[in-house]
Amino acid sequence: MSNTSDPSPRIAGHPGSQVSRRGFLGGTLAVAAAGIGLSACASPVAAGLIGSKIDPGTVDYWNLFGGGDGIRMEAMEAGFQATHRDIGLQSVTLAWGNPYYTKLSLATLGAQPPNVAISHLTRMKTLVAANLLQELHPEDLARHGMSADKFNRRAWNTGLVNGRIYAIPLDTHPFVCFYNTQVCKKAGLLDAQGKLKPIQGEAAFLDALNRAKQASGQYGAVIAITNENATPWRIFQTLYSQLGGQVLADDGRRIVLDDAKATRALKLLASLNTKGLIPGSMDYQGSIALFAGGKAAFFFQGEWEITTFQTAKTPFGMAPFPNVLGGTYAVQADSHTLVLPKNPKQNRADLDRALTFVRSMLDQSGTWAEGGHVPAWLPYRNSADYAKLTPQSNYASTADFAVYDPQAWYSGSGSDFETIVGGTVGAVIAGQLQPAAGIAQIRSKLQVLARTDPPT
Amino acid sequence: MTTQIIARPAATPRSKKVLDSGRGGRPALGFLAPFVILYLLFVIGPALYGLLMSFFGTSLVRPGLGTFAGLRNYAEALGSSDFWSSLWHTVWFTILTTPPLVVIGFVFALLAERVSHGKWFFRLAFFAPYILPSAVMALIWVWLYTPDLGLISAALAKISITAPTWLGDPNWAMISIAIATIWWTLGFNFVLYLAGLQDIPRELYEAASMDGAGRFQQIRHITIPLLARTTTLVIVLQVIASLKVFDQMYIMTGGGPNFSTRPALQYIYDIGFTDYRVGYGAAASTLFFILVLAVSMVWFVMTRRQERQA
Amino acid sequence: MASATADPTTVRSSRKGIAAGDPQRSSRAFNRICTGVLIAFSLLWLMPLLWALDTALKPNSETAALPVTWLIKHPTLDAFRSILGQGDIWHWYAASFIISALTVVVTLLTASMAAFALSQLRFRRRGFAFGFIMAGIMIPGQVLIVPLFREMGAMHLLNTYWAVILPQVPTAIAVFVFKQFFDGLPHELEESARIDGASTWQIYRRIAMPLTRPAVAAVAIFTFVWSWNNLLWPLLVLSNPKLMTIPVGLATVQGNFGIRYADTMAASLLGALPLIVLFLFFQRQIVEGIAGTGLKG
Repeated sequence: MSNTSDPSPRIAGHPGSQVSRRGFLGGTLAVAAAGIGLSACASPVAAGLIGSKIDPGTVDYWNLFGGGDGIRMEAMEAGFQATHRDIGLQSVTLAWGNPYYTKLSLATLGAQPPNVAISHLTRMKTLVAANLLQELHPEDLARHGMSADKFNRRAWNTGLVNGRIYAIPLDTHPFVCFYNTQVCKKAGLLDAQGKLKPIQGEAAFLDALNRAKQASGQYGAVIAITNENATPWRIFQTLYSQLGGQVLADDGRRIVLDDAKATRALKLLASLNTKGLIPGSMDYQGSIALFAGGKAAFFFQGEWEITTFQTAKTPFGMAPFPNVLGGTYAVQADSHTLVLPKNPKQNRADLDRALTFVRSMLDQSGTWAEGGHVPAWLPYRNSADYAKLTPQSNYASTADFAVYDPQAWYSGSGSDFETIVGGTVGAVIAGQLQPAAGIAQIRSKLQVLARTDPPT
Repeated sequence: MTTQIIARPAATPRSKKVLDSGRGGRPALGFLAPFVILYLLFVIGPALYGLLMSFFGTSLVRPGLGTFAGLRNYAEALGSSDFWSSLWHTVWFTILTTPPLVVIGFVFALLAERVSHGKWFFRLAFFAPYILPSAVMALIWVWLYTPDLGLISAALAKISITAPTWLGDPNWAMISIAIATIWWTLGFNFVLYLAGLQDIPRELYEAASMDGAGRFQQIRHITIPLLARTTTLVIVLQVIASLKVFDQMYIMTGGGPNFSTRPALQYIYDIGFTDYRVGYGAAASTLFFILVLAVSMVWFVMTRRQERQA
Repeated sequence: MASATADPTTVRSSRKGIAAGDPQRSSRAFNRICTGVLIAFSLLWLMPLLWALDTALKPNSETAALPVTWLIKHPTLDAFRSILGQGDIWHWYAASFIISALTVVVTLLTASMAAFALSQLRFRRRGFAFGFIMAGIMIPGQVLIVPLFREMGAMHLLNTYWAVILPQVPTAIAVFVFKQFFDGLPHELEESARIDGASTWQIYRRIAMPLTRPAVAAVAIFTFVWSWNNLLWPLLVLSNPKLMTIPVGLATVQGNFGIRYADTMAASLLGALPLIVLFLFFQRQIVEGIAGTGLKG
């Protein structure tokens, strides 16, 4: 029934219905928007709607440190905030590995990157090739007291791309040898000061492991090889590099794996298992537990687990990984660096704030070194304080012999390269694959990546 | 009831009277324009651009289309064991989840149908997980699956069973994800079946029991056939949704351990956005699209056929 | 047995399927078994959420302690306070609300307008237009993520809410649902309105739309929930934690929590809270909508 005097007829029984839904939705939206707009988070909402800068005047910092490293980094961030009350700091921790670097890349492509970010030295090169990082100019660095001569030479030089600076090294974290002091003493492997006697050469290495096995009653050493790719890669790279071997060349376009050297390294590693010197199946957490419980005298891993064993009150010491196969010493390592992603919205003040933060991190190298890392910042590295810091200072010299992952777009810490090689090495150590078959598998899988046009 | 809203064609019995043929054109354009513009910009446009990109070695971090690659991207995808494994993981996930989700959903609906009061409680219990965001579901189940501290491992330990490393063991990871997914999505099928069951007239059961049919015979010969349409819908929706799985794997295992749970969509994500290879990613996406399209076509044909029989 | 069919109450309850009031005693026992089994399973189904809540109410240290127990020695709201105090989750709420709400509004508008044209207005190639739009159902958004990302970059929309809203709007199913409703409208209303001189827009706004309340409700609720829960696309385009939606935020910074399990569960429950509230209010519509349309995905 329509009301003919009104040009817009109403539906009988629903007097206000044509307004209700639209009004309800609109009303809700208005209330929500108002409420949100009035709240403290106005700035990100504005950024989300119109693309403005988020929180100008603060330092946005991304890292990938969890666990013990994470706690230490938080302490350093607090240190920064205590000494620089005029600069706000927003710190975000993302999951280690590919997810971190993917997010960093996407954020930079999307023009809202953090001001400062952590990057492994081995991944930073790919970010540079992808045109995602700012070049750091010596004049800007000098304004904050940073120059090439204040950093560990090896880390600094490895980070240069065509002579240009893109990263400030914070540390080098090498593959090291943890040893249980009680078991090793029983095995007669310690010197008069209670430190591990240096081990040189393959025979001495195997002998030490044998004695350790008898002393511990179970294993000589433990290496994480199950559901774990990075650790097998690290120990392989260490041994293989001690023989002078390389894996990739030409930015990853060529595979230059030396079969003889690789076979030798793999055979040695596999024999550790067949001789019962190491467990044939052990994941990362299990390897920590085994060493902490004294069932293995040696634990081969990166130095970052120092805090774990200090907390567990394991009687342990740390030493450089032995020179097992080499004339020239070499050991696998990577470095954490601080980088500045490209940001079109950045101005000079932002740059200075970011560099102030970087300098503050370097100044707190002591806190960072307590976590086991070898500081790259020489003013601290060469100080008396660091020399007193044991067992960290015991292996500090290895930073100068660090072998970084080969340069390629698909390589670096946590990359597909590590998954392929590390996964295969782990299988060889566990006895699931013969060394020859392992090398063939590494070659064929890497070949696919090497053949692919680099996307950077 | 709007039960057959998708299945039934428009219910206009006679030809529509022309409203205003003179003015039909321009207002129509105005009404269609907003949707169509967005549709062209954000559906058709990207689809065509993606197709174009798939023939080039386009890089995420370089401008332009990059070097022409012809069919090389497609050849690489079809020859890549990683691509095929990721497809297999998706299919395996679909196989692991679809039958339980259909059967269990049906059985629970049958049981709930018998209950006179309190249906709301069961509907709440089974359906509440369905409205959770995938991230919430994933975090809760990662916690449930945590070694030693997780509820499931602890409960099994109480009856002296050592639980596997649910998400860290390549043999168990996909199964663990499937179990979590079943918990998450069962409510949807439960509700669908419950509605379908309520539409079956009671007289049919009475007539059958008068003829001496037992309870299970009634279910076999009355309930299941009459629910054929619902079952088809449930299966097809389940399969198509499973093909597009991404969230659970990304959050719970990151595609691991060692890519053993990585589904097709995450392979595309890794290729396109971690490796920066968007040209190749577009080719992989196109192949994946063809697969999904084929399955959708099967659905289309099946529902049309059922319709004609009805 | 035979009396059952003569009984008027059972005949009246024919729409209720298998009536629970079957007079046979063995049936009653069977019913009790069924109910018992169902109760057991529904409790099992509720357990993960209850366990999450239990964990969130413990201090972090208790969650990492053995033996695992439901008992909370020192119940506390610290986990919730810590998450809410950190600040980021408020940004995530804001992003999720704004994105989902805007998606709903724009979808309702554009889809209903397009459906109105396709249903009620005569124009050349209307069939083709309908087919063209419906073809969109065949293209899942997930296969477009790669080219769409490039496109958003070119439009400088990355890291804005619009990058998420705009691709979510043109869903063919919404048009389909509205069109079904419009098709079912009696024509006398519009014809008399035309005679009265109403414009097409007025007919759409004041006659057609008010009659599509079920469709509006269904599309609004589904679009809101689907938009809220969307992970893959927002994960790609929102990379600054301050701009992330709830699912993206939870998925990305989970590394932050480490072994703070109470915090993790508190964040999860807080992230799900708006939808749980929505569910409790609109349970009937959501369930009816699913039963009716089988939408989603």
